[in-house]
Amino acid sequence: MIEFSEVHKAYADGTVALQSLSLTAREGEITVLVGPSGCGKTTTLRMVNRMVDPSSGTVRLDGVDVSTQDPPTLRRGIGYVIQNAGLFPHRSVIDNIATVPVLLGRGRAEARRQAGELLERVGLDPRVGGRYPAQLSGGQQQRVGVARALAGDAPVLLMDEPFSAVDPVVRADLQDELLRLQSELGRTILFVTHDIDEAIRLGDMVAVLRVGGTLAQFAPPSELLAAPVDDFVAGFVGRDRGYRRLQFVGAGSLALSTFPTTGDGWLLVVDDDGRPTGWRQGGDRVALGTVHQEGASLRSALDAALSSPAGRGVAVDDDGRVLGGIEPEAVITLLHRTDALEPADGGDR
Amino acid sequence: MRLFGEDVLPLAAEHIVLALVPVLLGLVISLPLGWWAWRSRGARRILLPLTGVLYTIPSLALFVVMPILLGTRILDPVNVAVALTVYAVALLVRSVVDGLDEVPSEVMTAGVAMGYRPLGLLVGVQLPLAVPVLVAGMRVATVSSFSLVAVGAIIGQGALGALFTQGFERFYTAQIVFGLLAIVILALLFDALWVLVGRLLAPWNRRVARPTSSVEV
Amino acid sequence: MLSSLVAWFSAPAQWSASTGIPARLLQHLGYTALAVLVGAVIAVPLGLYIGHTGRGRLLVVGLANGLRALPELGVLVLFVLLIGLGLTPVVLALMLLAIPPLLAGTYSGISGVDPAAVDAARGIGMTESQILFQVELPNALPLMVAGLRTAVLQVVATATIAAFVSLGGLGRYIVDGQAQRDFTQMAGGAILVALLAIVLEVALQGLQRAVTPGTRRQEPARTDTVTAGG
Repeated sequence: MIEFSEVHKAYADGTVALQSLSLTAREGEITVLVGPSGCGKTTTLRMVNRMVDPSSGTVRLDGVDVSTQDPPTLRRGIGYVIQNAGLFPHRSVIDNIATVPVLLGRGRAEARRQAGELLERVGLDPRVGGRYPAQLSGGQQQRVGVARALAGDAPVLLMDEPFSAVDPVVRADLQDELLRLQSELGRTILFVTHDIDEAIRLGDMVAVLRVGGTLAQFAPPSELLAAPVDDFVAGFVGRDRGYRRLQFVGAGSLALSTFPTTGDGWLLVVDDDGRPTGWRQGGDRVALGTVHQEGASLRSALDAALSSPAGRGVAVDDDGRVLGGIEPEAVITLLHRTDALEPADGGDR
Repeated sequence: MRLFGEDVLPLAAEHIVLALVPVLLGLVISLPLGWWAWRSRGARRILLPLTGVLYTIPSLALFVVMPILLGTRILDPVNVAVALTVYAVALLVRSVVDGLDEVPSEVMTAGVAMGYRPLGLLVGVQLPLAVPVLVAGMRVATVSSFSLVAVGAIIGQGALGALFTQGFERFYTAQIVFGLLAIVILALLFDALWVLVGRLLAPWNRRVARPTSSVEV
Repeated sequence: MLSSLVAWFSAPAQWSASTGIPARLLQHLGYTALAVLVGAVIAVPLGLYIGHTGRGRLLVVGLANGLRALPELGVLVLFVLLIGLGLTPVVLALMLLAIPPLLAGTYSGISGVDPAAVDAARGIGMTESQILFQVELPNALPLMVAGLRTAVLQVVATATIAAFVSLGGLGRYIVDGQAQRDFTQMAGGAILVALLAIVLEVALQGLQRAVTPGTRRQEPARTDTVTAGG
């Protein structure tokens, strides 16, 4: 657990980077700090491992005031991932990952063996272990950076815009990978980004910071989308927030319609197992839209309804068999009824 | 081996010692100086212009001034050795600073964040990464040191340079050509040695690991 | 020692006679200017050509690195023996030493120009010679002057040695002092040579700054300080 209480940071020239920041990053969760440049998010992150010391206020790590700790010793117990990975160009991938265990005085052979396992854990071929960082792609380097941060078995991970320098497709992969890793490892992660979409996708809790270093809102992503506290947060959260918010709402109690089996209108075509294969209108076969799988969010349900050529979407169960139809109106009705401010269990990220 | 009335092997050996010892000594002196200049802006403001000025002083002048500064005799080989060490330091302090500057800031940040202490970071990360630039500096220092030793012959301390002064007095072209070849070959030999050392110390670096295609201005 | 040096510098003959300091200084500068000029006439067009076309890159690299290993004293005495005593062999030898830095400076200056700028110039319809003289040359100037600086200092130093092959210049004091066992004269000459080199270095540094656009770089935005070990 990381606690900031009344943390203030001003530089010698009078610039204020952070003003009375108080927030808690809970054990085993991803807490995202997001905001425009100059909002002090990186400064906040660096206070945890004492790369920056606050002017006043305290930062506690698992209840211990970090200012009482020897910085190098403190840092060896905290994983750190930065933009462009910051890998050591002169060390092989394996030796990069083994850096902290070796600094902690564990045997080199053991550290290397563990590094090999971590490589697989972050989705890399163990054969890249002998290469130098310059021989890897940007996405691969970033994965190695994550592996290196995990190597010390640190319960806390600091990530400073780790995925900002890679292209969007690779970034999405890396984000999925991080969520998968986190579901296995349950570390306490403090994550800095300027990208609100990344914050919403990854964060259990999201702290939106304003330029000048004040906390605008600290809330779960769904609440941020549903109820931004002011115009700044609303503007920062950006367009489509009404629609994006739907991904945090479960579609469990959505009223499904039944499909007509005869007539001149749109008819759903299913195979012998009851799985939908397409639509038929008059004599023509038309492809399916997206399909809403049982348990997915309201966003998926609405998308199924809107993307269907028939004007109603298809809901299927876990095996892909048709459960019923989704009318766009039903989605809106459900949204109003549940008032939908609460994140639902079925929401996906 | 006697050639042109001179025993050239001892001369060659003396030439190598006179050229190499100052360069190695220069490296040892330059590492802490360069690190200091890299770390402190004030030290950099003083050290870099100072070494720049030292490097511009013509070798013959420096050889001649040495006895005044050191209190040595005019014909002492120490004069040449110290003067060449001054040149090596003048050149290599800059290389050390450049080499340390070359370490990417995100690598430094990552090192600090992982819990390196300053000395550990210097030895484990910064110096290894400075190797390519240091090797480039050592190559220039070594090659020019071999050629500068010969200038000492004018004041009677030039090892293989004696072949030039004597060849000139005797109007003996072959002796001079031999001296030129001998010095160039020795210089290039040790230049190649540094390239090899660079490849061994920095196998990760393509610039060192592959034949160089760059020139120092 | 110091008093004899002061006496040496303040002797009236030292400042008027044909063997006095002003005369020797002018000789020294004359050899230097001549050698660098002749060297530049050869090296600069060659460097421009190679830098612009990319043809003969290996020649530059080999020449620049290889000629650096040549001992200047050996080159000087060899030229004198081959050509005979006089100004010509000395200027030729000095020129040979001036060429590598001039060539390397010109070549790397031209070839180091941002390819995107050259591409853009070609794209807006500049001819090859317009590209060379309006885009590449102005951008290459700082490195060309750096090459000039190295060449001048190399030549000034070696011109000192020219006295050994019976020419004038400030080196005379050192060589004559050595022959006459007059250490005061040697030291006086050495001090003059060192001063000359330093003055030229400072002047050429100034020139280099003057031709470098945007020398006064903006103060970088303040970032969080990284202090190892806290």
